[in-house]
Amino acid sequence: MTAGEQVFASIRLALLGVVAVLQLGLSLPPLLAHDHGPGAWVAFGLLALVTLVSAGWIARRRPLPTAVVAGGAAVVLGASVVATAALPADAHFGAAHWSFGLVGWHLLVLLADRVPALLAAFGAHLVAEITQFVLAGSPDRTEVGAAGVVVLGVTSFQLGVLLLARVLLRNARQAAEVAVQEERAATRAALAEQWARDLRAGFAGGLGTTLPLLADLADGVLDPRAEDTRRRCAFAATQLRRLFAEHDEVPDPLVHEVAACVDVAERRGLAVSLAVSGAVVPVPTDVRRELTGPVAAALSAARGRARVSLLRADGEVRLAVIADAGPVVDAVSGRVDVRCEAYGGQTRTEARWRTS
Amino acid sequence: MADELTAVVVDDHPAVRAGVAYWLSSGVPPVRVVAEGEDVRVAWLDEGADADVVILDLHLAGPTPVLGDLRRLVEAGRRVVVYSMRADDEIALQCLELGALCYLTKAEGAEHLVPATRAAAAGRPYTPPSLAGALAGDPSETRPALSAREAEVLVEWFQSESKDFVARRLGISVSTVNSHLERIRIKYALIGREAPTKAALVARAIQDGLIGVDDL
Repeated sequence: MTAGEQVFASIRLALLGVVAVLQLGLSLPPLLAHDHGPGAWVAFGLLALVTLVSAGWIARRRPLPTAVVAGGAAVVLGASVVATAALPADAHFGAAHWSFGLVGWHLLVLLADRVPALLAAFGAHLVAEITQFVLAGSPDRTEVGAAGVVVLGVTSFQLGVLLLARVLLRNARQAAEVAVQEERAATRAALAEQWARDLRAGFAGGLGTTLPLLADLADGVLDPRAEDTRRRCAFAATQLRRLFAEHDEVPDPLVHEVAACVDVAERRGLAVSLAVSGAVVPVPTDVRRELTGPVAAALSAARGRARVSLLRADGEVRLAVIADAGPVVDAVSGRVDVRCEAYGGQTRTEARWRTS
Repeated sequence: MADELTAVVVDDHPAVRAGVAYWLSSGVPPVRVVAEGEDVRVAWLDEGADADVVILDLHLAGPTPVLGDLRRLVEAGRRVVVYSMRADDEIALQCLELGALCYLTKAEGAEHLVPATRAAAAGRPYTPPSLAGALAGDPSETRPALSAREAEVLVEWFQSESKDFVARRLGISVSTVNSHLERIRIKYALIGREAPTKAALVARAIQDGLIGVDDL
């Protein structure tokens, strides 16, 4: 149920209460006080019945079925004619005319969400009353004036209530729309913020080793000629290059990132051969980072030659580097199983990840 | 010299033909290139028809690989080494299935082409690292069952490009590495379509005692 529907259900419930109070509080006393024809009680009963039946839906805040609305409106208009016909002589639009105002409220309850039909029903009600008023005997000018005042007063009040309800409804709908839009904007802003935070964290992770290195170089703490410094610089460069490759839109991101690492090593003058076998499998970004991390470290430690191979077979991704010399890199195993061993002058580093 | 090894080179790039001829001639013992050309016809005519080994580029001018020519050569009992610029596993496995003795990518140079040609001349298979990778990653359902050690040798060879390294890591000798690789190729020769080269390969393996008749 939309906000507009909820507000309308409340308005209708309030109108139903008004009708019940009016029928018992304002219409019953004149019916008892004056001498009406037998039709008056039938009309009163019919009007009460319509109120009771429609209350079944309205109290549960459900929209009224079209059949109930149409039947109810017909019964109300019919009851109005019967009640007016049962009036004592010269009582039209006077104190004894208990049904005139009440019928309008009934129509308002039934047709408040169908404005054209409501106006038509109001029109029909007025025409019937005036016709009966004229047919009941030739009224003099004073009587016509008094009737006009009553008709105008009652009708304009009921139309005013209708207008108020419609304005209330429109405001509720607009407020709901604004609320939805605001909520959407807030979600978008939160998402954008999260994305920016992730990106910053990712770059900070990559820059973690680079910034202190640059600071130490700038402060003269590190000697650029030292082997270790150069290895650390090579590692930082490889990490940065891999980080830039991480967000590229490519069909095979893992090979793309590995190729980026190889590219940096080749720029350093290393002879690197890269071999890839097996079909592309999706690898999450953080797993890719864990897989390529050891490769970057091993490549930056290599001196002259390296072989990088990626094998994707039997539900496993195996990324290996075999490089000449270079120290054994720290193998930290998480989801990715990293092994690093030295054989003679060669270091073998392998990162394995099971896809399932 | 009657026992001199000969080869015919089919490639649409003259520079590649010249380079291959140079590599083969500078090996010890040298392999003589008796014919070369950009069309597979050179392998069927004159001296080319008698060459021991055909070194075939899969992409000759046209956009599609010349698998049909490969099949005809193999059916005629020719020993073919495919030398292609394409490094995708599927086509490599397809060439083996057709009966090529070796599939080499052009990223792999003289250190693999020369031994591959020599092995082919003797009717033996040669498995370069890229092909080992393709075999290790073979997703097909018909792939032969490899022993754990054989699979290990394939992966290690693919990863390291060095049989010495594989031997040291697995604690076996280089010749054991070679016989594992050869046995894997025999297993592949036993599946799929028949070809004279495959039959010769199996016969040879039985002769060498690499596999027993019971294994068939």
